[in-house]
Amino acid sequence: MVNLKIDGKQVQVEHGATILAAAELVGSHIPTLCFLKKVSPTGACRVCVVEIEGVDKPMTACNTPVTEGMVVTTRSEKLATIRRQIVELLLVNHPLDCPVCDAAGECDLQNICYELDVVQQPFAAEDVNHETIDRWPLIQQVPNRCVMCEKCVKVCHETIGSSALSVNEKGDRAFIDKDLDKCEFCGNCVAVCPTGTMISKPFKFRARCWELTKVPSVCTACGCQCQVDLNVKGNTLFRVTAEDASTVNNGNLCVGGYFGHDYVHAEQRLETPQLRNGESLVDASWDDALTAVAERMQAVRKEFGSDALAGLGSPRLTNEEHYLFQKLFRAGVGSNNIDSEARFGAQRAATVLRNTLGLRGSSHPISHIGKADAVLVFGCDVTAEAPAVDWQIEEACRRNDGKLIVANMRKVKLSRHANVNLEYRPGSEVALANALCRLLLDFGLVDLQQLKNYVGNFDAMQAHLATIDVDAMVETTGLSRKLLEEVARELGAAGSVAVIFGADLTKAAQAEEATSAVANLALLTGALFSDAGGLFPIDEKGNMQGLLEMGVCPESFPGFQDYTASRATFEKLWQVTLPEAGRDALAILEGIEQGAIRFLYLAATNPLVSFPMAERWRKALDKVEFLVVQDILASELTAMADVILPGCSAFEKTGSVIALDSRVNCLSKGIDPVGEAREDWEILAELCQRLGGQSVCLDNSALLQEIRTMLPLYEGVCFAGDGHGQRCMKTPFQLQAGAALFTPLTATTGKDAGLQLLSGKILAHFGTTSTFAPSPLELAASGFVEMHADDARVLGVEDGTRLRIVSAAAEILAPVRISASVPPGLLFAPYHFADTAVQRLMPGVQNRVDVKVSRA
Amino acid sequence: MSQVVFSSWGQNVVDNRRGGEADLASLKLKLPATYLDQGKIGAFMGWDGIVLLNKETDVVAMAAEYIQRVQEKYCCAKCSPGKRGTRVLQDTLARIVAGKGREADLETIEGLASLLENCKCTLCMTAAVPIFHSVKHFRDDYLAYIRGEKTAQPAKIYKEKLTAPCTDRCPAHIDIPAYVEELKDFRPDEALDTIRRNMPIPAVCGRVCPHPCEKACRRALVDEPVSIMVLKRVAADHEWMHHKQPPMLAKPSTEKKVMVVGAGPAGLTCAYYLALEGHKVKIIDMLSEPGGTVAVGIPDYRMPRHLLQRDADVIAALGIEIEYGVKLGRDVSLKQLKEQYDAVFLGTGAFKSKPMGVEGEDQGYDGFSTGGIHYLRAVALGEPIVTPKRVIVVGGGNTAIDCVRVALREGAEDSILVYRRTRKEMPAEPYEVDDAEEENVQFEFLRNPTRLVTENNKVVGVEVIKMELGEPDASGRRSPQPVPGSEYVIPCDLVIPAIGQDPDLSYLEDGDYGINQTRWNSIVTKGGTMMTDNAGVFAGGDCEYGAMTVVVAVGHGRRAAQAMNRYLMEGKAYITDDEILEDMLSNFGVFDKQENVGIAGGLHREHQPKIDGAERARNYEEIELAMPESQAAREASRCLRCYRVGMVALD
Repeated sequence: MVNLKIDGKQVQVEHGATILAAAELVGSHIPTLCFLKKVSPTGACRVCVVEIEGVDKPMTACNTPVTEGMVVTTRSEKLATIRRQIVELLLVNHPLDCPVCDAAGECDLQNICYELDVVQQPFAAEDVNHETIDRWPLIQQVPNRCVMCEKCVKVCHETIGSSALSVNEKGDRAFIDKDLDKCEFCGNCVAVCPTGTMISKPFKFRARCWELTKVPSVCTACGCQCQVDLNVKGNTLFRVTAEDASTVNNGNLCVGGYFGHDYVHAEQRLETPQLRNGESLVDASWDDALTAVAERMQAVRKEFGSDALAGLGSPRLTNEEHYLFQKLFRAGVGSNNIDSEARFGAQRAATVLRNTLGLRGSSHPISHIGKADAVLVFGCDVTAEAPAVDWQIEEACRRNDGKLIVANMRKVKLSRHANVNLEYRPGSEVALANALCRLLLDFGLVDLQQLKNYVGNFDAMQAHLATIDVDAMVETTGLSRKLLEEVARELGAAGSVAVIFGADLTKAAQAEEATSAVANLALLTGALFSDAGGLFPIDEKGNMQGLLEMGVCPESFPGFQDYTASRATFEKLWQVTLPEAGRDALAILEGIEQGAIRFLYLAATNPLVSFPMAERWRKALDKVEFLVVQDILASELTAMADVILPGCSAFEKTGSVIALDSRVNCLSKGIDPVGEAREDWEILAELCQRLGGQSVCLDNSALLQEIRTMLPLYEGVCFAGDGHGQRCMKTPFQLQAGAALFTPLTATTGKDAGLQLLSGKILAHFGTTSTFAPSPLELAASGFVEMHADDARVLGVEDGTRLRIVSAAAEILAPVRISASVPPGLLFAPYHFADTAVQRLMPGVQNRVDVKVSRA
Repeated sequence: MSQVVFSSWGQNVVDNRRGGEADLASLKLKLPATYLDQGKIGAFMGWDGIVLLNKETDVVAMAAEYIQRVQEKYCCAKCSPGKRGTRVLQDTLARIVAGKGREADLETIEGLASLLENCKCTLCMTAAVPIFHSVKHFRDDYLAYIRGEKTAQPAKIYKEKLTAPCTDRCPAHIDIPAYVEELKDFRPDEALDTIRRNMPIPAVCGRVCPHPCEKACRRALVDEPVSIMVLKRVAADHEWMHHKQPPMLAKPSTEKKVMVVGAGPAGLTCAYYLALEGHKVKIIDMLSEPGGTVAVGIPDYRMPRHLLQRDADVIAALGIEIEYGVKLGRDVSLKQLKEQYDAVFLGTGAFKSKPMGVEGEDQGYDGFSTGGIHYLRAVALGEPIVTPKRVIVVGGGNTAIDCVRVALREGAEDSILVYRRTRKEMPAEPYEVDDAEEENVQFEFLRNPTRLVTENNKVVGVEVIKMELGEPDASGRRSPQPVPGSEYVIPCDLVIPAIGQDPDLSYLEDGDYGINQTRWNSIVTKGGTMMTDNAGVFAGGDCEYGAMTVVVAVGHGRRAAQAMNRYLMEGKAYITDDEILEDMLSNFGVFDKQENVGIAGGLHREHQPKIDGAERARNYEEIELAMPESQAAREASRCLRCYRVGMVALD
């Protein structure tokens, strides 16, 4: 600790603390302009100068560390003059366009002028500012408003890790420039800009900041669930912001959070219920629509039995809505035919982790990643799937000296920061994990004592590891042994390891094996046993964790209670008779195809675009007798519906959601549902009421009470609170002695020769809703296929050439993008777009498929 | 002698405008009176003031020009007073020179000069100094402009250069403040790009550079110097530890062929910058691997050879061919090379051990090494030599230290260093002497060998005489004097003389090349171009300077490559304004160790972790471990970024 005196007040602070931090402790306010707590100090504005006894020159408080016995003065005539003159200089050629400047009212320059009494301009110089930059998408740069604080540059480089911004040119002509290829359009540069230099184009000229009401809530664009403020006026959502000090995300947002919300007011929003009348859909009253649905459900049940009804839920809905959805089908019509897109990824990974490690999600909060000594990202484009996890990795590996290993069949953004990139042959995940496990053991970098305690089949594990032929595994992966040895040493030497895996792996045909392989690796690297790091399955969808926990699947009730084992309990609770079993998504698909299922309820999900086998789903949806679509946006899916029930976005409703690291968050209603749309839980509750007189509390908090009393998992969980509310962690994960299972896995060989197409998420889009949002569309307007230059040469195609891509399941057309991100032989296509609908190519539950490609 | 009309340099105002005499020498200003053969220097303006040699030089016009160049060419814009303050100064001075000034402008200038004291770095801060001096001491000239009595009389030409004390002192002139700042900002790749602009073997110079830059670090005037060398290693290690591909690309081929003799630091550097320019470069080397003295003269525990190899591989990847096991003068003659190539660079090093001058050293005794450099090389190359139990190494330089420490690792139980002065006078780096001590090396200071003691043609000891330190000699070191009759014998099994090395220039003897040599047997080059008296033959490194440091060799290699490029493309080897000023400022002196920096200090220098002495002394694993990047960022934040601009006006 260091002792010093500031403005006559004695203070003790940690070694390495700055004068600014120490002054804050004693309540001495030092004005700042360029200081931004979450990045390294810049010392650009010089406004925070203070005087130190025995030191000739004033020193900047923001970046001068304290030393023992320092005597600091923060206010004096001399300092006031310096500060005032500096701001006077900043105002030279600063345009007097405050009335039309977007930052007016929340401009730090305005504030500091006021604070420092800057009321005149003694200086003058020629205006040599760079002209306004309009060519960037979504963000406008106005150099003559810039105070060159570099906050944007630093947050872009240090926090987000995109390093797109830099200072260009010299002297007074200098301005902030951008490498558009690197920009992630997270908007954090706009958020941290103290003036109106970085401007959000979608927000520009639309509202004055002081007219906006900030409603604290959470973003559900992805599973990270950043804490946000919905900036609203009237019944319009104008922008989404986040405060640094009070949020788990440290005020940072991604493209989805900052720019991705403008589907809320898209013209395709569904505002009234609609009923099919022959070929067309006509507006209807809520009562008519709900009656139509309820009556049809009862009728189908009566005529064909409960098994003729099925429903597919969505990770877009809240916990309460998930709960009601499963209750509607189970208690309302006695059908257990409920499932969701989790079936194609998250559910499979989650089941494996539950069976092998007893995990019900990630092992730790994502903040543990930022503290890890090593991070392994396996089969995951974290930046796209869970941006806030990327920021944690930037923290761990770029600012805190952690090692980063990126294992993926294609390059992702994080590849550029990795110590080692393991660009393995597609499909060789098990071989890679096997080899690493064996090498960790051979190098003596495994804590066998610990494993003996935790791993139930320890002997089988050792026996299996002994059979692994590292060279054969290396051969399968297409990598070098030396590289794998290096990775094994780095992971083995690290005091704490975070293992993160995602869609490229969990949505693959071999997802179970691959997840088991990752679980094995998590055991051998000790990822589960440390105060930092952990095991983190990533799914891109906002409330996927809530969906899994609320039992929207035939095999379990809410709270992961096994369906068969807990059926009697729930029959008693709900006073109904429940079927013995139910159909999962695949069986529902088959059921429709075979004519067994006649009624299908789609709640906020679009199988035509999101689901693998989308081609089969299209035919099935055509065939099903009665299709209910509860959604927010009009699409080709809603056009197929018999009843459309207009639901709400997360900005228009209350409810709770669970982040990918099991944080429970509460949504706040920023605006009322548009038009006649209703909160989804209201729709579901109403239907529950109408069906068999199920007593459902038509009140969210009472609903929560019902959930809590029924689910042992939620004991002690407090859902209360509005806005950012109280974050509630369920009981933290603790691996029990002997509870972990090592899965002996035999590696299959990698992919055969020939082209394969991998589908997945891209940064700019979140599911399908963002394809109705103007801002993400400005970044990625429609579907495309990435291809390596070698493959393009062989095919004789150029950037932009339209391709015909044929798989065993379907044929699609899409323009090609020549890209260095994919290796030869592998194509990558985003799945979000209805225009290309690449998921149609998948003949089964898979994300990678053999394709034939030609010019269209 | 060049007369000084006015000088405000070094906080010392000398004003002879109305009489009085002083010359550059008497003021200890190492400024040349002429700018090569391009003209007389009328005035010099820089970070510490103004030196006026020609009273006709228009100081006001020069000040306006100076501040304009600082603002438009060098100001980084990354602090408020610097970015805008120098612009206001520029415009104010321009207005005055244009005859539109007002007297109040002078107050503005003085006020801003004071405000610029608060800049983030010293570039704009020091740029205000000569401007302030000009207003203070040449006020009448300003007033004459303001009253319309004077119109601008600009000098024939102005030439300016950006420098910094560390950059200036570095023989390779690396832009040190830039790469240090990039490390502070967590941009190790950019830092490495910056380093490579002047130095292509960063893994080497991040480890074994004697870092003269740190002796010119202004931070040392506040607390301790910035760990500049180690920060360079951090940048180099980052690329290696992340398997990153270096970004450099060679320009399109010029079809010119260049031979570089020697794959040591000078040769590798020269080859690198020539290859970048698109020339076809081939290197020959007598050894079987790259690095020259670095490879076979610096033990692996200081410089792991796989990293030296990586630096060389990165260089060779620009399309350079390297042929090993070829020695100039033995396998190929300089005449042949001259015929086959458009230019030749000699970077043949200094591999000849100096004699100790003691009785019996020329007798070929068993147990007498031919020299430290040979001993180190034999060990490095894995030659079958046996190091006995008791080893004496004679000398006080880095090679001597390397020898005693290697001897320990080769199995010696007693490794003894004999040096004729005291520890304080040792030319070896103090930290290396400390390291050796930690490893249990024994020191015999103030001893000088006089005779080898032998039995049956085998060395069994060295007779030494005790020494006393007398008066300081020309080098400033106190010269040792023998104490008569104090001889005694230190028993040993092996004696390794490590007194120093000379270049072996025997390859110049097979023809008349007209290449001049110094009396200490090194090659003479001309006018900073590194070209010898034989047009098209260039030389640098130890063979040109005598045994010196890696970084001097790098500086030579780079300068030679620049001059060779001009020789190849324009038919004339010359140096540019930038290089002329680089040399001029080096001579003039950029670091003022008397300066009162006036800022808060008390921040200690960060050190990289190190393996314990006992643990390390028996193997060749690298002793010093990589500094974590977060620690490097902290260390880098201690840098004061001491940029400054000097400008001359030529009549």
